[in-house]
Amino acid sequence: MNLDKMMDLPGAMAAFTYSDRGDLQSQVLREGTELTPQVLDLLAHSCVANLAIASMEARGWEAVTGQGGFQPLKGFSVVGLEWSVVVNGNCGVVVRNRDADYEATFNALQAA
Amino acid sequence: MNIVKQLMAIPGVIAAGEYAFRGDRYSYEGALTDEFARMASILCRANTLSVNMQSEIFDSFAENCGCRPVQGWIARGNRITICAVGNYFAFIENRDELLNDVMTIMRAKVGDIRDDLLVNLYAKLGGDTKEALY
Repeated sequence: MNLDKMMDLPGAMAAFTYSDRGDLQSQVLREGTELTPQVLDLLAHSCVANLAIASMEARGWEAVTGQGGFQPLKGFSVVGLEWSVVVNGNCGVVVRNRDADYEATFNALQAA
Repeated sequence: MNIVKQLMAIPGVIAAGEYAFRGDRYSYEGALTDEFARMASILCRANTLSVNMQSEIFDSFAENCGCRPVQGWIARGNRITICAVGNYFAFIENRDELLNDVMTIMRAKVGDIRDDLLVNLYAKLGGDTKEALY
């Protein structure tokens, strides 16, 4: 996983990897950002939870409605007041909202 | 033109809607049945409350870190993406640039979400909702 490449995404403030349990494994923080490794660790745990919940919902939605196209899940993003965290698999990127390119970020995470 | 109609005018938007209260008051347009729209509203409300709870935990670790209040969330499926901003949602196809366009429009039209979103979503529970929440 090349986190430095992730930091080239528009508005990237941080990039990180985490274990299947959500433990932070590696991170790159842009200088001057208010984010800390402690916040990223918490964020990583929430990302694992959100991906699991969204996967369950996608699976349930398809089963109940018969509509396809939700599975497999390709990522999840939480849009905060100033920044968004975009995650897929075991990698996440925090992007500043005003510069965020969600599509490019999801695509980069999928390719990673 | 209201937000749902504006979203539905964009090619690739499958359905869009607005929900309130417990997710069981909603309006929508697009390729959903009434029952599926009800389910979508409840799903979106549950996820919105969940990510708001998470942001409050982040905030207790790093006050004013820029995540709170949460504005929305995105669930990226294989061919379909769900976007939620405030109490609006949109089901969209995974087409080039559509996600960015929809998010830009939703953020611009819905406006910055403040803490009162939760109060509104909890409305009708009875009592002093604000006091119960904060």
